[in-house]
Order: sequence, then C-alpha cells, then structure tokens
Amino acid sequence: MIPTLLFVAFIAMMLAGVPIGASLGLAGAACIALANADAQWFGLLAVPQNFYAGLGKYPLLAIPMFVLVGSIFDRSGVALRLVNFAVAIVGRGPGMLPLVAIMVAMFLGGISGSGPANAAAVGAVMITAMSRAGYPPAFSASVVGAAAATDILIPPSVAFIVYSVLVPGASVPALFAAGMVPGVLAGLALIVPAVWMARKHKMGALEASLPRPPFWQSLREATWGLAAPILILGGMRAGWFTPTEAAVVAVFYGLFVGMVIHRTIKVKDLFVILQESGELSAIILLVVSLAGIFAFSLSTLGVIDPITHAIVNSGLGEYGVLALLILMLITVGMFLDGVSIFLIFVPLLWPIVQFYNWDPVWFGVILTLKVALGQFTPPLAVNLMVSSRIAGVRMEDTVPWVGWMLFGMFLVMVAVIAWPELALWLPRYLGY
Amino acid sequence: MSHPHEPAHLPVEIHDPAAPDEATVVPLKIEDWLTVITMGLLALITFANVIVRYFTDQSFAWTEEFSVFLMIVLSLVAGSASVARNRQIRIEYFADSGSPERQRALARFGALMVFVLFTLIAALSCRVVWDDFRFEETSPGIGIPQWWYTVWLPVLSTAIAGRALGLFIRRGREQ
Repeated sequence: MIPTLLFVAFIAMMLAGVPIGASLGLAGAACIALANADAQWFGLLAVPQNFYAGLGKYPLLAIPMFVLVGSIFDRSGVALRLVNFAVAIVGRGPGMLPLVAIMVAMFLGGISGSGPANAAAVGAVMITAMSRAGYPPAFSASVVGAAAATDILIPPSVAFIVYSVLVPGASVPALFAAGMVPGVLAGLALIVPAVWMARKHKMGALEASLPRPPFWQSLREATWGLAAPILILGGMRAGWFTPTEAAVVAVFYGLFVGMVIHRTIKVKDLFVILQESGELSAIILLVVSLAGIFAFSLSTLGVIDPITHAIVNSGLGEYGVLALLILMLITVGMFLDGVSIFLIFVPLLWPIVQFYNWDPVWFGVILTLKVALGQFTPPLAVNLMVSSRIAGVRMEDTVPWVGWMLFGMFLVMVAVIAWPELALWLPRYLGY
Repeated sequence: MSHPHEPAHLPVEIHDPAAPDEATVVPLKIEDWLTVITMGLLALITFANVIVRYFTDQSFAWTEEFSVFLMIVLSLVAGSASVARNRQIRIEYFADSGSPERQRALARFGALMVFVLFTLIAALSCRVVWDDFRFEETSPGIGIPQWWYTVWLPVLSTAIAGRALGLFIRRGREQ
C-alpha cells in the first residue's frame, strides 16, 4: 500500500510539472512518515540527514568543476580553431562539413562533460558555416545535436560521475576508460549516415568552392585546443590527478587559453561564467541530494526485492529482461533527462544487475548510451533544443534527418550489449 | 517567432541571455554573488591542493572537508536562485501546454510543493543542528564543531522556501 503510494504520488507530481527533485523528496518524505507512524517525529529526521548525506560526497565535487570547464571552453574560441584545422585535414568536398562537425564534437567531448554545452559550442561555429555551404539548417541542427550526444560517452562525462556515486563497484576512471571505445564507435556510426545523406540529397554543393585553410597555420592555431584532452585524460591516466583535480586543472588551462592566448574571455565575463556554471551545478546537485531521500525510503520500505523477484522470475531470460529494460528506459527517456533517469532507476535496477551478475561498468556504459540516444530523440531532446534554436528551425524539422543517425547509434548500443569487451577491454588494459 | 509545439525555452544547461530575470522583492544579486564567490573558492582551493601536492609532496587532505561544505553551500545558494528563476529540472510536457489558466495553476502547484519540501527540511534540520550542538559533535576531518557546518542547512533551506513562495505569489499575480 505505502510503496504504491510512493510511486503514484511521485509520478503524478512529476507529470504535473513539479520539479523532479521536489517530487522525489516529497514522495520519499511522505512514505517515511507513513511507515514510521509510531516513531518519534514519524522518523522524519531521516529526511534532512539523507539530504545532507546525499550532497556531502567528495566525488560529487567533480560535477561543478566539469560544468565550469564546459562553460569556459564554450567561450575560449577553441571550437572555431578546431573546425578550421579539421577542414584543413579533410578538405572541401560534398559531405565533409557534417564529418567535421561530428569530429569536432567528439574532440570537445574529450574536454567537456555535458551534451547540451557541446551542442552550443559546436553549433555556434558549425551551423552558420554549414548554411553558407548550402546545407539546410534542419540538417545541420540534426548533425550537431546528434554529434554532441557522443560527449557524455567520451570522457570526461558528468553522467559517469553521477553513476559512479550511485554504484559502489564502478570507479570514475574505469567508467571514463570504458566510455572511450563506445563513444568513438558512436561518432563513427553518426558519420556514416550523415555523409551518406549529404551526398544522396546533393547538399552542400557550394562547399567545394570555399577556400581550404592552410594546414600548418591552422594546426598551430588549434594546438592549444588539441592539447586540452591530452592534459585532462593523460593527466588522469598518468596518475597526476584525480578526476576532480583534472577538471580544475582544465579550468585554469581553459582560462589561460581564453584570456591570454585567444583573448575571447574578458575579466568581466568571469562573473557570468561562474554564476551560470554554479547555478547549473546546483540544479544537478539538488536533484542528486533529494534523490537520496527517495532512495532511502525505497530501501527502508523494502519494495525493490519483490519487484526484482517478479522480474527475474518472469521467464524472459537475461536478454529478454535487458531488452525490456532498454525499451522502458527509451520510453521514460522521452520525458526525463539523463541525470534524473540515473538517480531514479539505478537504485531500482541494481538488484537485477546483481542477480544476473552484470558488470557494473558495462551496465553504466549501456545506460549512458541510452541516455545519449535520448539526448537527440524528439520530443525531449536537450541537444536538439539547443542546435535547433541556433539554426532557427523547429525541432520537428529535424525528424527526417535524425532517424538514421539514431539508428546508427542504436546499433552501437546493440554491439556493446552483444560484445561487452567493446566497453570493458580498455579499462582492464589500463588496469582500473 | 514562437512556433506551436516548439519549446519556448532552452534546456537548463544553457544560459539564455534573452530571458531577463523577473523582478523579485529580494534581489537575486545576493545569490548570484554568493554563487560566484563559492564557485571561485572551490576552484581555487582544489587547484591549490594540486599545486601544493605536486611541489611539496604534502597533501592537505583536510581541505576536502571544507570543499565538500562549500559544495553543499553552492547547491543551496545557487539552488535558491534557480528556484526563483524556475529553472529546476522538471517535465514540461504537460505543464507547459493547455490553457493559460491550467499552465498557471500547475506552475503555482509546482512552486508550492518546493515550498512545502524546503520548509519541512528547514524545520527538521533545526533538530539536527541542535543534536550536533548538544552532543558536541566534531567534524571528522578538521575537528571543528559539526554544528558550524550544519547550521547553514536550515538557514539556506529557508531561503529556498522563501524563493519558492515568491514564485508562487508572482505566478498568482500574472493574468
């Protein structure tokens, strides 16, 4: 009775547009009170305790730092120089600009940790360039939105940090390493349909007539951007920094590049950078901490075991259950953002993962791939919201184009399910 | 250039300079300045930690405790601004469609629920602070009284509840 109330109240509040964090916190608090009707203060002292404990975790500090990195690199002028360098390499030809957009988005994925920030940085540079070359804006918006989705797979990634805090057996470095190969595969899986569509529809006819930037000069200008992922990922790999420290080193590196080298960031911009990244971090962290109250009420009510029992005894088998989970998460993903999906579903699904003995790192990569797909699946596609706004088109206009790219990335997810080694080889090789 | 079915807003990840802040009785600059200071301090302390360890082989791991405290302050202070700006993560699909009356009613309901939750947290956390004070709990890292940290939980939760109440009142006035 009380568990049913927990879920009904939670889902009703969420659908009514109550903030996800408040829905989680209130539903959790209501159930704690009902379950402890005899205890002092209805056992509600657990509410502030779990709220405080949910926030007070050192690994979470990586979230505000990586959000800050994204905000700084967004303004550092690195994206433009990377685009020039990529064009200098691949040259001018039909379908080359979509290829460049995806490659640059993947590269920036090695610096920033969130999809929408990546879509904003790449979109600001690529969408006008693609329009000038004759690509329809809706197509450009689709390519940029899809390409930015590789960001949360390619390390560093805010999604992996949240997953690591929820799951004890999956360390941040292991998850980061595990996301690398699937992330690159996802990028390749987007390049194929994007270039194919551009050629088939004879888009970008003007592209061949545009000048090709000189190779050495664009390489020199792009050096500062090219060095950033090496510093972040290489520094973590070499054991110089923890993920949080790598983020903060990237913060100061990005500020140096933006303020001293490229001169795109002025001192007065610092206020806006710190304020907006602080607020965005707080929005994420508040959901994380309020989800702590919900998770506590789930564990004390003991609702997870019966659900797990019913699912594993349903006769669907291991892969049937996995397929069902993915189908359910894709449906939920139409309404919920990635971090909320992790916070709500990882505690619920955890006993199933343990029952089937799934590798927690592998499962995290699968979930993140699903969230990446959700970032460019209309109607709630955060990346497409950003890129369509920059391109000045409606999100519906992107539907004819995103379909094939969704299919491409979906195949990567199927491949990672079929061959877990795609995700697990690199972390094992690196010794995490 | 608002089209039907198009979300009129950007996702929370992206700051929209085109959307000005609504007028509030208590200026949002208070939270914004505190956010900037806390965020700057967090970055500086963590960076100093890297530098010191690199050059002197010493770690001041005790700063972890203070950094975690600053992160909690950041979440609550900047969270308070995000409540006033109505930028919390939520499902807009049903709440932002339908008649203006329905949208307004749902927006007010959402703000009221945030108010209820943070009033509850503020009230209950007073007891946590009192227990920390009464039993003279000390922090595990630095060993200072724990209530120096926890006392900010009721204070800042009250601020968030106040911001939610303000949003509730503003949404009630709109016609």
